[in-house]
Amino acid sequence: MMRRLGIFAFFGVLLTLYVQLLGPVRQVMEQRPFVEKLGLIPHPQALKLLFPDFRALLGATILGRVTLYFGGLVEHFDDPRLLVKAVDYPAMSRAIHTAVKLDPYNMDAYYFGQAVLVWDVGKYRLANELLEYGMRYRNWDWQLPFFVGFNKAYFLGDLEGAAKMYMRAGELSGAAMFKTLAGRYLQEVGKTEMAIGYLETQLAGARIASVKKVLRLRLTAFKALRQIEEAVDGYRRRYGEWPLGLEDLTARGMLAEIPEDPYGGRFYLTEDHRVRTTSKFSLTLGAGKKKKVDVTPEETLRDD
Amino acid sequence: MTLLGATLKGIFRDRVFRGLLMVLVVFAAIPAVSTLSMRQVVSLCLTLCLSLSSLVLLVLALFLGGTVLWRDLDRRYCHALLSLPLSRERYLWERYAGIALFLGLSALVLGGMTWLVTSFVAAGYPPGRPILWTVVFGCIALDLLKCLLLVAFAFCFSAFSTSFFLPIFGTIAIYLVGGASQGVHDYLRSSAATDISLAVRRLADSLYYLLPNFSLFDIKLYAIYGLPLQTSQLLLSGGYFLVYTLLLLGLSGWIFARRQIP
Amino acid sequence: MTEISFPIKIHGLSKVYRGKKWQRVAALRQLELTVRSGEIFGFLGPNGAGKSTTIKTLVGLIRPTEGRVTLFGQPAGMAGARQRVGYLPENPAFPDTLTGREFLALVAHSFGLARQQGLMAAERVLDMLDLTTAAGRPIRSYSKGMVQRLGLAQTLLHDPDLYILDEPMSGLDPIGRALVKDIILDLKAKGKTVFFSTHVTADVERVCDRIGVIVGGVLQAQRDVAGLLREGVEGYFCRVSNCPDKVLQPFGYKGRDDVVQELFVPRDRFNDFASQLFRSGGSFDLVEPQRRDIENYFLSLVRQAGEL
Repeated sequence: MMRRLGIFAFFGVLLTLYVQLLGPVRQVMEQRPFVEKLGLIPHPQALKLLFPDFRALLGATILGRVTLYFGGLVEHFDDPRLLVKAVDYPAMSRAIHTAVKLDPYNMDAYYFGQAVLVWDVGKYRLANELLEYGMRYRNWDWQLPFFVGFNKAYFLGDLEGAAKMYMRAGELSGAAMFKTLAGRYLQEVGKTEMAIGYLETQLAGARIASVKKVLRLRLTAFKALRQIEEAVDGYRRRYGEWPLGLEDLTARGMLAEIPEDPYGGRFYLTEDHRVRTTSKFSLTLGAGKKKKVDVTPEETLRDD
Repeated sequence: MTLLGATLKGIFRDRVFRGLLMVLVVFAAIPAVSTLSMRQVVSLCLTLCLSLSSLVLLVLALFLGGTVLWRDLDRRYCHALLSLPLSRERYLWERYAGIALFLGLSALVLGGMTWLVTSFVAAGYPPGRPILWTVVFGCIALDLLKCLLLVAFAFCFSAFSTSFFLPIFGTIAIYLVGGASQGVHDYLRSSAATDISLAVRRLADSLYYLLPNFSLFDIKLYAIYGLPLQTSQLLLSGGYFLVYTLLLLGLSGWIFARRQIP
Repeated sequence: MTEISFPIKIHGLSKVYRGKKWQRVAALRQLELTVRSGEIFGFLGPNGAGKSTTIKTLVGLIRPTEGRVTLFGQPAGMAGARQRVGYLPENPAFPDTLTGREFLALVAHSFGLARQQGLMAAERVLDMLDLTTAAGRPIRSYSKGMVQRLGLAQTLLHDPDLYILDEPMSGLDPIGRALVKDIILDLKAKGKTVFFSTHVTADVERVCDRIGVIVGGVLQAQRDVAGLLREGVEGYFCRVSNCPDKVLQPFGYKGRDDVVQELFVPRDRFNDFASQLFRSGGSFDLVEPQRRDIENYFLSLVRQAGEL
């Protein structure tokens, strides 16, 4: 009798203790800094030598972790101003670079790199390096030159380079649309229009909630921009002169109100009558003010 | 009943195949996990299927290759078996053939599961590039050859070892070194490695030529991304496997025939 | 040519083991032994004397350091030499995932028996050793005695000419031991040759034609059992009647009042005693030889070898 009571007491106490521990454990894990959540990723060369058979799996696993990590931040996207503080971009960049070293064919890495890294932190050249690395392997894939071309034209102002990339994308996809793209970049309105088209293409293929949210946010911003641009053009047509500021558009009824920049910046009119925003559609510039995010990986990509 | 049949039966009776069927349940989770991918659901599905198959075959090869001979010696079954009018070499080779047959059967099952799961996923998410089934099955076949080569190594170690430590951990070491040897070789050939001493290079070179090169058996990326593969490469890998394995089995037989069974 | 007629011929066999710390341990020294066809040979020796080493050399599990071992003229160690041999290992163990019947099928196949022939032989020996009901169960569920009996079944399966049995009675209950003795005698009746090792001398007396005693890796003696038993008689226990006490007293009889007269007569005086008894009108009721048994013979050899 005593023996049985003893056994009950033993397991009872331990089970109670275990249940008591569960709460604190969860709390501590939730409060961990994000780097820890994404985890530290070993050097790709070491992984490749240790598990040559599983390099594709390791690459996919790392990207899965990045996706899950980014997906877990979805509640932060309601207020994009907090996003850049919440997301550990350098860690994501390192992870993506490791993943493509392990499996240079993995499209998720390039897509994620383009959809998140380029826009949110504005590392266009780094992104293009990543994409061009991918083009050497995925030499059948029109999306990579399409992304590179877009970055070149839209962000870097390299129209000639962009045209080359669009031609390549056109050859690979067999679609005619790319051939007309480069030309339209010459016009200011065309540029916005193009970005909207580009974003819609990207959004159509997006399936992860967080990525979708990011793309929608960006699309909203560009649609706001287009709305203002159209109002500026309409103002010019109706009154034969350029508005001096965006206030003129509301004052004379061209716009009910100035749309808000979801990136936390403020739209304004430049001297040469172009619409700009203080955020430059970048989370780093819009919200973080002086915060600079360095996403450059320790090692450059090269073939091996 | 032949010893080959007895080996096969023994593996089944040890419920190894049932264990394999349990692992197949994991395959059922692959379609769900694959949808985590943003742009390449089918590729991720293939990555997971092929990696799981590879892992299962590897574990089976290490477990069976490392323990079958050892168990015969440790539990003294060999006194009864080796005193039959059966040469030691014959005994060893029939045991090997039994394991090889089982691994082949496992590879068939794993290949079937890969086909089933991937076809299911591809129906829901049409892949950007067509799946090259011959390369996918070739990938599993080469994985099988690699594992059979590892079993031959395990047998070679078992032929003179008295415990299972050498067969199991020695084979794991061979697996790791054999997988890395091509990478190390390429690194030493690259410009980044000019300051490495000649002795180290010589050592690495001799290991490269002496130990098996498992990179020959790894065409996962080809299978996952539907990259075209030359038949000549498959033939080369097959020939390499055949020569290396026969050498090892011959060596194992020679060692084992000289072994004392006290 | 004559060698071929001998089921077992061991000539100058030595075996040296490499022990711990590279010490050399001589397990067998210059063993000479021949077993003739149709003979039941008991191989006696204390534990660790070299019995098992000798037997394992015979079936090719161990290679001799020196010397020549042949089975029916073929060098032991070659697979073909074991074709006419049934071997029972000491404390045998068989692949325990197989059933008894499957294991016998494996043995039959390796001896080159045709499938049908093998199946029939298997049922015969299973029945002989009372294993038929257990034959469909995996060996891992067998008791120690059942495994031992399966071991015997496996030696009998292909009806070999030579049986090499390493401690065949160990692990068996009295019924099993009796069964094994019967089987060995049955084999003798069929003209088969049996070579078996034991450390229990009682096993030897009833069944063996000849014994060899090995102590410390050296074969101390080979004896013919019949002769040994005859020589071993030390005297006779006699029960007589109608005999005057004075005839009995010189033989150590202390007269008693009861009717029964019993006494021990040494072997060398038995004839003398018998003639005196008859002359005095007495008669034998019972004569029982009193012998120094094989156990004593064995112990004396061990003592001589300095192992006791």
